[in-house]
Amino acid sequence: MAIKVIKSGIADTIQDKGRYGYQHLGIQPNGFLDYQSAQLANFILHNTITEPVFEIHFPASTFCFTSNYTICISGANFVPLLNEKSIALHTPITVKENDVLQFLKPLQGRVAYIAIQGKIKNETWLDSHSYFAKRIQKNDIFEWGANNEKEFSNPTHTDLPNNSITNEIINGIINEIQSQVFSTDPIRFIPGPAWEDLTPSAKESLVSSKFQISLQSNRMGYPIKGPLLPLHKPNQYLSAAVTRGTLQLLPNGELMVLMADHQTIGGYANLGQIILVDLPRFAQLSNQASIHFMETNIDTAHKLYQQIEKKFIHRS
Amino acid sequence: MSSKETIFEKSKWNVNLLGDHAIVFSLTANMQEEIIEKIIELKNWIELAKNDFIIESIPSYHTLTLVYDIQQFYKNKIAIENNHSIIAFANSLLTQFELTKKNNQLQFETEKKQENNSPIIIRIPVCYDLSLGIDLENLSTKNNISINEIIKKHCEEIYLVYCLGFLPGFAYMGKVNTKIQIARHASPRKEVMAGSVGIAGEQTGIYPMNSPGGWQIIGRTPLKIFDPNPSVLGKLQAGDRIQFYPIDFAAFEKLNEYK
Repeated sequence: MAIKVIKSGIADTIQDKGRYGYQHLGIQPNGFLDYQSAQLANFILHNTITEPVFEIHFPASTFCFTSNYTICISGANFVPLLNEKSIALHTPITVKENDVLQFLKPLQGRVAYIAIQGKIKNETWLDSHSYFAKRIQKNDIFEWGANNEKEFSNPTHTDLPNNSITNEIINGIINEIQSQVFSTDPIRFIPGPAWEDLTPSAKESLVSSKFQISLQSNRMGYPIKGPLLPLHKPNQYLSAAVTRGTLQLLPNGELMVLMADHQTIGGYANLGQIILVDLPRFAQLSNQASIHFMETNIDTAHKLYQQIEKKFIHRS
Repeated sequence: MSSKETIFEKSKWNVNLLGDHAIVFSLTANMQEEIIEKIIELKNWIELAKNDFIIESIPSYHTLTLVYDIQQFYKNKIAIENNHSIIAFANSLLTQFELTKKNNQLQFETEKKQENNSPIIIRIPVCYDLSLGIDLENLSTKNNISINEIIKKHCEEIYLVYCLGFLPGFAYMGKVNTKIQIARHASPRKEVMAGSVGIAGEQTGIYPMNSPGGWQIIGRTPLKIFDPNPSVLGKLQAGDRIQFYPIDFAAFEKLNEYK
């Protein structure tokens, strides 16, 4: 019962919701870059939505299954091939012993997820399978134990009364999440501690200009190209905690958005935080995409976040 | 009135949002013993209340950041009491904190005195051999100070941990004696060895693992300062007091936990 990596990708990892509670020791939370797509893949398979998944960047790893599994791919469309034949996203796919899964080309998005039905058997570190320094490598083996029928009819996760979810409901959720993750609407943020240190024209520039993600982006952060944003005065900041989605202004005028593998504290100008609901969308943007930022407030952010999370709970 | 009390009176708490899932309590932005002590005091007090929606509390210099779970917050009765506002919740926390302190002023003061009488100091051995303290000669030349004097000055001070970050277990400690303060390297080294003890401006720190780094390396500790074993993890936390003591190369070899 295993999944073997037969060719390494450039930056593939195992991710779950990450670990919280250790940042005071300097330990990063890690976790899904796009929690909405990752949760969707698990949801379609009737897994607990935060079950670990493979997070895939392009060029991607190639996998070989050593026994039968049901899998589901979501997020970016890298044209997944099973034994060289194209397979659908957002659909439970049955794979058999010796089947090979690979990814052909990046059509849409930046991060794909492979969920496996059942429960992962590999060890956790501090209650999470996410670990910043551990890319998956050729010959790595991952084991999943399949859910049996009994587990299915008696779900431990009370939010997911699996057997009562109709295909119609699932398709509705797929469409809603997809349109959320790949919409071209502005990326919303809440102003942070150094927002008022920007000149008025820099504030205006941040919300009216086009920005683009630079090539050097990775799970720690996405550097952003755009107009220079001057501060009132060259400011020194004492390091303080940052979060995923923090918009940092570097001394050279470059913007950097911190992502899931960010360091726990940062000493650069903290302009604001992208709201949780827009972070998956931001994480999926291609280098060519034009990015617009838009200021929002906490009430909107919380309302939107709860709306998305509710989609994963069955509505009877 | 002592100077310490003056600082306390001047330092007023600010509460701010840090995006949609964190809030920050902050005092005057200074790297100061009295300030980080007050931050730790608030941290310890908040942790006693065990609010299930608070999933992180991260102290750093003049701030305490609480990360919270949005769903859990709205499920908690505290949310209703505070009109579903996380900022209202944070402000009510502060009011309670100040009130508790006022009511227990006497007790607080006594506890503080007891602490002051016997502060726990974590003592860390460092080997200042030139083969390990690879920037010792550089520091000696630049600051016009002998290597023996550098070691003496580095070991004299009791340092306070102001925050952890950069790497798991990396503690930012201060303040370093002005005579041995030195700016970090203009471009970082590709690899600094685990246990390396460095100086950057008025701060000193220990690399918990091999990593790129720009601090001026003056020695190495044989002790593991971070252990991924969940029952061990980081040995230092913000608010801890530490002091270095010199050991020779033979003792370093004997104590070396990185072998």
